[in-house]
Amino acid sequence: MGFINFLVYLAIMMGIFAILSVSLNLQYGFTGLANFGQVAFFCLGAYATTIVTLTFNQSFFLGIIASMFLAGLFGYIIAIPTADLREDYWAIVTLAAGEIVRIFFLNEDWVVGGGPYRGGAYGVGDIPQPFRSHFAAQTYPFFYLGIVLVCLLLTYLIINRLTNSPFGRVLKSIREGDDNLAQAMGKDVKKFRIKAMAIGGIFGGLAGCLYAHYYGFISPQEFVPLETFIVWAMVIVGGEGNNKGAILGSVIIILFYNSTRYLKDYVPINETTLASLRMVAIGVLIVVVMLFMKEGLIKEKKRIY
Amino acid sequence: MLRVEELYKSFGGIMALSGVSFGVEPGSITGLIGPNGSGKSTCFNIISGFYAKDRGDIYFQGEKVENIEPFRLARMGIGRTFQISAVTERMTVLENLLLAPKLQTGEGVFNVFFRSSKIRKQEKENYDKAVEILNLVQLYALRNEYAGNLSGGQKKLLSLGRILLSDPLLILLDEPTAGVNPTLIKDLVAAVRRLRDEEGKTILLVEHNMRVISEICDKVIVLDFGRKIAEGTPKEVQNNEKVLEAYLSGSSKRESIHENS
Repeated sequence: MGFINFLVYLAIMMGIFAILSVSLNLQYGFTGLANFGQVAFFCLGAYATTIVTLTFNQSFFLGIIASMFLAGLFGYIIAIPTADLREDYWAIVTLAAGEIVRIFFLNEDWVVGGGPYRGGAYGVGDIPQPFRSHFAAQTYPFFYLGIVLVCLLLTYLIINRLTNSPFGRVLKSIREGDDNLAQAMGKDVKKFRIKAMAIGGIFGGLAGCLYAHYYGFISPQEFVPLETFIVWAMVIVGGEGNNKGAILGSVIIILFYNSTRYLKDYVPINETTLASLRMVAIGVLIVVVMLFMKEGLIKEKKRIY
Repeated sequence: MLRVEELYKSFGGIMALSGVSFGVEPGSITGLIGPNGSGKSTCFNIISGFYAKDRGDIYFQGEKVENIEPFRLARMGIGRTFQISAVTERMTVLENLLLAPKLQTGEGVFNVFFRSSKIRKQEKENYDKAVEILNLVQLYALRNEYAGNLSGGQKKLLSLGRILLSDPLLILLDEPTAGVNPTLIKDLVAAVRRLRDEEGKTILLVEHNMRVISEICDKVIVLDFGRKIAEGTPKEVQNNEKVLEAYLSGSSKRESIHENS
């Protein structure tokens, strides 16, 4: 049973991170926006639902809506002043934005109700699990996996529809080199960038919401820039500009990330060293993919008419 | 159609344009020529809104154009191509063309989900137009190829095709025949002429190929060091002393007028 539980845990993590990577793929893979602050959406989503469901005792659905709305709004707002920036500056600005969100929750413990050993660096626990009372402890993870997979499916369908539409075509044209071409074609480049960020934010927030309710505990330490880079690894390994690739990438990276748990029985390295080595393993994986499959495991799909 | 008055633009210490004025008549083909660095491209970039001018006025269809973003100018009907043919590399030839029609329904996020039948209809119409244009610029066989894999000349043709599909009133062509083979140049020239004669489009083009200029232009404007040094029919301009001097006297960087013809 332990192994099956572990697999369900892995699948839930894969699902949550796949939503994050499909969201980043819309921004980076299709629009060319180097968002190094993807974790901000994740963090905002997690805290928004915690505040709604825990502090205000509202339903899970309201929590989802609040998460998506707040993270989407954040994406929209940070994109407004930055939409004219070049890719490298965009990366710096979004990285900083991600840190601002994390540090905000680290210092402002009142937002989650406050109290002793609660909020701020202590994190927040007791985040309610949706429909928990309807299930036995053994079966609940399977139900939650269902929720995550439904959310992932919806995310995939919505974003895939967008990227296959004329809207997605404009995004791709913005990605290719400078803005001049899209501008000359009469496209309001800035507006498209803002939209891509806002939509990315909405789904990043959804992932954060699912994460918070799964663990039941969140703290700012979980939303460090490292998380953003893990999502980036998923997009790069899976294939930029391919939504299926982004999902495959998250499956592989999560597997790599968790493999050390079982590897410890087979290699003569102690567990702590092994845990540190997993980031090295992901780094090596990225290098190998970049060397031998530059476009990722699943290439961007060519649109044939 | 277009009127440029006393246009000034400097980059640091270099005066790219110092007081250039000219007009482009509706339904005409006007050539903008001059040695390298004479300010032709700067002129194009200002007219299409990509550069801000220092001084001067631009009138498009009788209305003053001031501080308007490039995409809005494009929507108003000023279409342009780029000297270094900008194509979206990881998009196919057809995708490049389908990008061109302005204000497509499917470019709105909500429309994508709630107006799919209208989008399908529009896409079909645009596809048919695109195929027509692909046949014109002889790229039909390459329609599903990534634009990044095209040759330099083919990219030029694609840029031209794209601008045709976007259906502007005034077309700015930046060196449309550079890198295109001679046979195809003939077709291009014919295509541009047809645009004027059959569709009544107005065209302003920068071009180094003097044969092309003299074949299709109604009027030629010659720039040198950011100033207009001559204006007239291709014949008049070719015999103008100042023009010959500008092209022939110059530094080693300058190419002779004959090398390019």
